[in-house]
Amino acid sequence: MYQNRKRRYIIVFIFLSISMLVFFMLNVCIGSIKIALSDVLITLVGHNSDETITRILWDIRLPRATSVLILGGALSLSGYLLQTFFNNPIAGPFVLGISSGSKMVVALIMVFLMRKAVRVTSAAIIIGAFIGAILSMGFVLLMSNKINNMSMLVVSGIMIGYICSAITELVVTFADDADIVNLHNWSRGSFSGMTWDNVKVMAIVIFLTFIAVFFMSKPLSAYQLGDAYAVNVGVNIRALRICIVIFSSILSACVVAFAGPISFVGVATPHLVKKCLNTTEPILMIPACFIGGSVFCLFCDLFAKTVLAPTELSISTVTAILGAPVVLWVMTEKRRENHM
Amino acid sequence: MGNYYFSTKKMCVGYDNKSLIKDIEIVLSRGEILSIIGPNGAGKSTVLKSIAGQLKLVGGTVYIGSHNLTEMNSNELAKQMSVVFTQKVMAELKSCKDVVATGRYPYTGRFGILSKEDKQVVDEVIELTHITDISYKDFDKVSDGQKQRVMLARAICQEPEIVILDEPVSYLDIKYKLEFLSILQEIRKKRGLTVIMSLHELELAKIVSDKILCLKGEYVERYGTPTQVFKSDFIEYLFDLKDGNFLKNKDFLSYIRQISLLP
Repeated sequence: MYQNRKRRYIIVFIFLSISMLVFFMLNVCIGSIKIALSDVLITLVGHNSDETITRILWDIRLPRATSVLILGGALSLSGYLLQTFFNNPIAGPFVLGISSGSKMVVALIMVFLMRKAVRVTSAAIIIGAFIGAILSMGFVLLMSNKINNMSMLVVSGIMIGYICSAITELVVTFADDADIVNLHNWSRGSFSGMTWDNVKVMAIVIFLTFIAVFFMSKPLSAYQLGDAYAVNVGVNIRALRICIVIFSSILSACVVAFAGPISFVGVATPHLVKKCLNTTEPILMIPACFIGGSVFCLFCDLFAKTVLAPTELSISTVTAILGAPVVLWVMTEKRRENHM
Repeated sequence: MGNYYFSTKKMCVGYDNKSLIKDIEIVLSRGEILSIIGPNGAGKSTVLKSIAGQLKLVGGTVYIGSHNLTEMNSNELAKQMSVVFTQKVMAELKSCKDVVATGRYPYTGRFGILSKEDKQVVDEVIELTHITDISYKDFDKVSDGQKQRVMLARAICQEPEIVILDEPVSYLDIKYKLEFLSILQEIRKKRGLTVIMSLHELELAKIVSDKILCLKGEYVERYGTPTQVFKSDFIEYLFDLKDGNFLKNKDFLSYIRQISLLP
């Protein structure tokens, strides 16, 4: 039995890694201009004489595909952490108002800085998104001290989400037209226009967070059994909860800062990965969720770029179309299991 | 604290600094079984949670050996004491063996990977609690009685000196009740385990316990050996059975006599 399990884990990880590589290469090759795989490889090694192709690959395709890979993983991991935290299959950055909080603060920063004609840097946006995420989460945690009930916590998360969205709307209504155009593009969610500088920042932030989360896998696995048992085996439950909240906030804030709000990846991918692995062990789920999220987002971005080419769909359109059915399927399946 | 392994001194328990029950004094030698009885809402679970360190004491002290419970660090405490509570266990996609193995937490390294010795302890405990036949089944799919034994196994897997159980047999049928308690006695004998549990089943409490703690109202109503506690019409008094419509029913009346007038 344990032998079989190990084999399954190995197969799933190999499968996910290969898919990641394949979709990454497809994303690099396919676009408004198709580039042959051999050209890509030659360019990567650094011996391509065709200047146009080199520029397209290095300046557009590669940073975009890399950022999809990183942000997709971050989103999925953030969703996994929140689902574990609430033991709730529909928990995610959106349900808790984290994304809305980030969006609100980023919108405020964009509008006010642009009006003063100050250039908006990516660092400012990340910090803004993180502040927004922490504000939302802080509010939700404050409520949790008062109500100490998991489902009420989700409700207060949804409420803070509505409040933040309302404020965002208000800001947008009174903003100048030029600001809105900028804000509108970003708020629909898109991976286009990524630069290597962006990639560098997100890679560092998300890699460090990933390592920290990975080191939490032992207390997380005890936490899954329930609070009382986690406390009994010696988990500092309060510290663990705060860590989960902060790390999932960083992960989703990073995504909102660079690509805008992207729906359903955080909710759907952990379920798909869990079904593949047939376990909930965090030590396996944490890396698998990250790779799974990368694969899912790479696939969605490819879909967004190609299906109605040359028009590009917004990424959230695709993730919702592909992700929402997965969530529905998981929920009906759960229902059926409970009835047996 | 003398020869006693577990004791409480003027322990007051309750919520938000308001004490529900005051001045609880318990003394237990190693390997004794204490049952806490009392009507619903008397605070049995509150006492157990406080003893387990999951609820802040309102006053007094709990000693394990010579250590003050509140001064022990969480890992030390986890190696001394384990719990089986009534809260629903969430164990999605875990086999019974996986659930048992979670009890090894205080002993494993940074990533919680089981060593050879850990695995050996898990196997031993599974045999000890008679769950070998279900150890590979999904935890979500076994019966309540089996689940309860798996949770006991998880607690024993922690290799504690003392185990706290909150109404461990309340939702089990009579066969599982007896089976569970006999396993508990067997482990007590083999490992010198000290047991503190709350029980609704008075007849069973009388048979399996060395000490009994009765809760009613703000103070401990009675504490002692079963023979000291189960005297004359004490049970009728403890549960307010003297006035109730059910007394008009002769069969019920004789049932009450049966449980309360044991010699």
